[in-house]
Amino acid sequence: MPSVSKPAAATRGVKSLATAVEAARHQREWFAGLRRRVAAGEPFAVVNADVPHEIFRVMDIPYVVSQWWASVVAAKQRSAHYLEKVRERGYPDYSEQYNAVTLGSAFDPDPGAGPWGGLPRPSIVVGDASGDVTRKIFDIWGREPGVTFFPLESAAENEVPANWWELMPHRWEEAIGPARLDLLTAELENLVRFLETTTGRRFRESRFREVMALVNEQEKWNRKARDLIARTRPAPIGVTDSIPSVMLPQWHRGTEWARDAARRFYEEVRERADAGRAACPGERARLMWIGRGLWYDMGFYQRFQDEYGAVFVWSMYLAIAADGYIRYGGDPMRTLAARFAAFTDQLYTPPWSSEWYVKEARLHGIDGVVHLVSDDPRGSYFTARALEAAGIPVLDLRADNVDTRTYDDDAVAGRIGRWLEDVVLR
Amino acid sequence: MVGYVGADVPVELLTAAEAFAVRLTGDPDADSAAGDLYLGTGVDPMARSILSRLLTGAYGELDRIVVAHDCEASLRLFYALRELRRVEPGAGVPEPYLVDVRHLPHRTTARYNRRRIGEFAARLAAWTGRPLDVAGAVAAHDERRRLLAAVAGLRRERPARLTGRQFLAVANAPLPLPEHVALLEKLLSEAAGLPAHHRRRVFLTGGDHDTPHVYEAIEADGHVIVGEDHSFGDPSFESQVGAGDLDALAEHYHRGGPYAPASTAAERAAHTAAAARRCHADLLVGYARTGDDAPAWDFPDQRAALGIPAVLLDRQEYGRADVKELRCPA
Repeated sequence: MPSVSKPAAATRGVKSLATAVEAARHQREWFAGLRRRVAAGEPFAVVNADVPHEIFRVMDIPYVVSQWWASVVAAKQRSAHYLEKVRERGYPDYSEQYNAVTLGSAFDPDPGAGPWGGLPRPSIVVGDASGDVTRKIFDIWGREPGVTFFPLESAAENEVPANWWELMPHRWEEAIGPARLDLLTAELENLVRFLETTTGRRFRESRFREVMALVNEQEKWNRKARDLIARTRPAPIGVTDSIPSVMLPQWHRGTEWARDAARRFYEEVRERADAGRAACPGERARLMWIGRGLWYDMGFYQRFQDEYGAVFVWSMYLAIAADGYIRYGGDPMRTLAARFAAFTDQLYTPPWSSEWYVKEARLHGIDGVVHLVSDDPRGSYFTARALEAAGIPVLDLRADNVDTRTYDDDAVAGRIGRWLEDVVLR
Repeated sequence: MVGYVGADVPVELLTAAEAFAVRLTGDPDADSAAGDLYLGTGVDPMARSILSRLLTGAYGELDRIVVAHDCEASLRLFYALRELRRVEPGAGVPEPYLVDVRHLPHRTTARYNRRRIGEFAARLAAWTGRPLDVAGAVAAHDERRRLLAAVAGLRRERPARLTGRQFLAVANAPLPLPEHVALLEKLLSEAAGLPAHHRRRVFLTGGDHDTPHVYEAIEADGHVIVGEDHSFGDPSFESQVGAGDLDALAEHYHRGGPYAPASTAAERAAHTAAAARRCHADLLVGYARTGDDAPAWDFPDQRAALGIPAVLLDRQEYGRADVKELRCPA
C-alpha cells in the first residue's frame, strides 16, 4: 500500500479558490466588527444552525452560529479545552460535543484567550428542542447572567413523500405537512415579539421580503455551482474549497455580501472548469463525504489525491445549500418556517436522507462514500443500504467531528487507503 | 393487539378503541444485533433491544405499533420501522404510527399536541370503524392511576412495605386493564400483611427502566428503591387526566413527566428534589445507560437541589449497574 502522507498544511487543507480565501478573510473582519458591536452594548445572539437566522438578519441583531464557533474551536485544536470547562461544571464532556464545545466558552474564566479574541457573551441564545440534550445545553447557557434562552420546538411527521428536493421550492406544504408548519410559524411570530420586546429593534415586513429574496438568490447560485461540479470531469474543486466558500456565506445569508459571494464562487468554479483546471488532475475516483465537516483535520480531504487520485468532490454543505434552502411562497413567515420545520430530516431521516444521498451520488458520478458516523442516535444503516443498493461502496468512519479525542488520523488514513485500493479502485 | 413504545402514547385512546395495548420492553440478556444494525450503536440500547425483539417475534403477532416522540431513541425507532416497511417489507414489521406529543411549556406546543392527539383518535376510529369511548377509557385509566398511587404509598412507608423491584412489576404488569385494576385492589386489601424492608432508602433518577435488572442489582446491594422519576414508575400515575375528552388528554400528556429527555435540568432538579423528599430518601442514585445522554446533564442540578448523598451511575451497560459506586457516595 502506498504511504498516505499529510500535506504541508496538515490540518487545514490547501485552498485553491480566491472566494474561499476571501470568505475566510471576510469572516475574520466581520467577527472583529461583531466584537466591537457587542462591546458597544448591542444585543448579540448565539443560535443553533437550524434556527431561522433570517429573523435576526431582518432585525439587524448580530448572531453567531453555535456549530460554526465549534468548528473554529476545533480547527484551532482547542475543543478539549472547552470540553474540560463543561466537565468542570459537572456536565458530561462526551455528549453532543458540537454544542457543548460552544457552551464551554461561556464557562471560560478567560474568554478573551479564545480563538479570534474569544466569543463575546451573548444576551440571547436560541436552539431547538431536537434530540434529548440540545435544549438542556442551551437552557444551562440561559442561566448565565444576562443571557436569555428562547427555545423552539422540534416536531416530526408520520408520513412524508420521499422526493423532498423536488417539492421543497414551491410545494413545501405538501412535503412537510401543515401541522409542523403551523407550529413553527406561530413560534416564529412569538420569537419576533420576544426580540422586539427585549432588544427594542423593529421587524419590518418589507425588509423581511428583501432578506428572503436574497437567500433564494444566494442558494440558487450555490445550486448552479453544485450542478457544475457534478457534471465536470475531472472535478474543478474539492470540498476543501467548497465548504468554506459555501458555509461562511451561509452564516451571512440574507445579505448582499453573501449573495454576491455565492455568485463569485460559482463564477470561479466555472472559470476553472472552462480552463480544465482540476482539484486532482489525475482524478481516478470521485468521493462523497457524508456527515459533518472534520473541522480539526480539513487536510484529510486532500490526503488521498496524490497517492490514489481520489478526490472528495461532495459534502452536504454545498448540496444542502443547493437543494435544502430555496423556498418560494406568498406568506414570508410561513415560507421561512418551511425552510426549517423539517430541515434536519433532509439530512438525517430516511427516506428523505437516504434517497437524497443516492440522488446526489448519481448526479456527481460518485465512486465511493466515506460516511462519518458519530456516537449519536442518527445512525447510518439506511443511508449505507440505499447507496450500496445503488452500487456505490460505503465506508463508515467512526469519530466525532469536533472532539479530537475520538480520532486517530493515521489509523483512519490507513483504513481509507486500503478501502480505496481494495474496493473503490479495483 | 397493539404494541406501543414510549411515555407519551395516550393509552386511553387505545383502550377507547378496544385494543389490548402492551408497552413494549427490551431484554438486556437477549441478542440485540438486529437493533444495533438498523439503529446504530449510538441509540439507547433499550430501543435497540425493542427493535431486535420485534424482528425476532418476541412480542407475538402485533397488529400495529404506536410510537411516542418522548425521546430521540423512540423517534429513531419509529423512523427505522417506517423505513424497514418501505425497503425491506419481508422483515414483517407491523404498521407504525407516531404520536408526536412535545413538551415545551408553551401554548404553541399545546395547540400542536391537541392537533396530534386528535389525529391519532381519528386514525384509531378509522382503523376500528367504530367511535371511541374516550370518557370511559379515561375514567378506567384514572382509576388505575388512583390505585397505583395508593400502592406507591406502601412503598414510601417507613419502613417500606414493597421493594422497588416489586413495585415496578406491579405498576407495569402487562395485563388487560380490568384485570390489573382487580389485582391492585386485592393487593391493597392485603397490605397489612406485607413485610417491612429496613434498608437504605434510594430515590432513583435518570433514564427509563423497562426491565427489573437494575432495580434487582441495587436492591441486592442492601438498598430499597422507594421512588423514581422515570416513565415506568411514579410519574406515570401521579396526575390524573380528569375530564374524559381529547382536550384533557392533550394537556395531560403535554405536562407529562418531567422526564429526562424532554425537560430542562432545572425542571428535573425541582421535581426530583420534591419527589425524593416525599420518599424520605437517604441516597439519590442517578442512572444513565450508554446512549441515553440526557440524565448526566441533569445530575449536577439534582444533586445540588437535594442535598443528600448522591451517586451517578453513568454510561452503564443496558440492564447493568456498577453498584459498588453506591457504597461511598459523595
